[in-house]
Amino acid sequence: MMNSMIIGKYVPGTSIVHRMDPRSKLIMVFFYVFIVFLANNVKSYAILTAFTFSLILLSRIPLSFIIRGLKPIFWMILFTFLLHLLMTKEGELLYRLGWLEIHEQGVKQGIFISLRFLSLIIVTTLLTLTTTPIEVTDGVESLLSPLKKFNMPIHELALMMSISLRFIPTLMEETDKIMKAQTARGVDFSSGSFQERIKAIVSLLVPLFINSFKRAEELATAMEARGYQGGEGRTKFRLLTWKFADTALIVLLVLLAIILFILRS
Amino acid sequence: MKETNNVKKMMAIGMWSSIAYLLMMLNFPLPALPPFLLIDFSEIPAMLAAILFGPIAGVAVEAIKNILHYLIQGSGTGIPVGQLANFVAGVLFILPASYLFQKFGTSKGLTYGLVLGTIVMTLMMSVLNYYVILPAYTFFLNAPALSSEQARQLIVTGILPFNVIKGSMVTVIFIILFAKMKPWIHRQMAA
Repeated sequence: MMNSMIIGKYVPGTSIVHRMDPRSKLIMVFFYVFIVFLANNVKSYAILTAFTFSLILLSRIPLSFIIRGLKPIFWMILFTFLLHLLMTKEGELLYRLGWLEIHEQGVKQGIFISLRFLSLIIVTTLLTLTTTPIEVTDGVESLLSPLKKFNMPIHELALMMSISLRFIPTLMEETDKIMKAQTARGVDFSSGSFQERIKAIVSLLVPLFINSFKRAEELATAMEARGYQGGEGRTKFRLLTWKFADTALIVLLVLLAIILFILRS
Repeated sequence: MKETNNVKKMMAIGMWSSIAYLLMMLNFPLPALPPFLLIDFSEIPAMLAAILFGPIAGVAVEAIKNILHYLIQGSGTGIPVGQLANFVAGVLFILPASYLFQKFGTSKGLTYGLVLGTIVMTLMMSVLNYYVILPAYTFFLNAPALSSEQARQLIVTGILPFNVIKGSMVTVIFIILFAKMKPWIHRQMAA
């Protein structure tokens, strides 16, 4: 429970996908969302699927993890597959059972749409499976840093996000402590009427807000004592390095887009 | 001195965003409403940030909370449609509420503000669901698009009552919370 709250779905590993720069992975996921919609025939879908599966293989994440992640939407995929299978009335008639007709185009459409859906979800979950949230935060900060020129508080937003991530476990512990302390004073969190429940929630939230605010003050003092003065000229503990594999990934992505564009009908 | 205040503000926004994220995890469905509409109290930390540090701070809490939720929990469709909808709803709720509070600066102003926020959120979310969010969901889930009749029915029987209930629950809790924290909030505002 605690672990899943902090690192989310991250699966530790040393594969080439794990070691890639979060920036290249973020760029890939962003453009992949558009690229999947380029595929529209057998050849282009075959290449799209092959690309997605080679990414899974490269990440060395056991297939069982990916399948587990897909479980919640499995029924949705099955439903849309069946819908396209049965509702498309184009092409050769393949099978008929009473009023149920399966046409050639229906089979194609059903498979295509399911593959597109799967590719999209697998690639986005692959990012969270191979990259920790803090790496993603660093990556986003670096990618969006050109926007600083337009006075967008990118550094500040990234800083607040990493503080937030860092304090999720701490504040969870604190919540637990306050709940126990209030239970000892007679507050009942698990039962009671609507009014009592709201009172219980408030008795939890007030100390939580005030304690966390004190923590924020201490943190701000500690940061200034160490000379923090905004993002300008700040050095970093976690450095991002753009490696050959990252350039290769982007080149492959561009190639994929070009090939799909040529092959699509 | 201003610099210290800014850092303190940022740290508090960070902390309260984590609380918002934790509250978002403690969500629950309502009986008789569609199961994908989950109630949570994560608007409370955002609202507190908005009245103490100004509306932009509240928007920041909403944004960070949803980005964290997407990074940690992911999204069923791969694209954060649900998180974006939650962000828009939260902003629509806290902006009118904090505006009225800052204008009057009293508990009464806050109450009116929260009620106005609930109304604005409910109306705008119904419209946005009809034109943007529901079509986006069906598009990314590759489900057949809802007919305008179906969409209207889902909004009237699901989304509209959901936002009314969510807004009123947050309103009630926040008013009680504000009454308890009033001395502290005024001390912080004076500092």
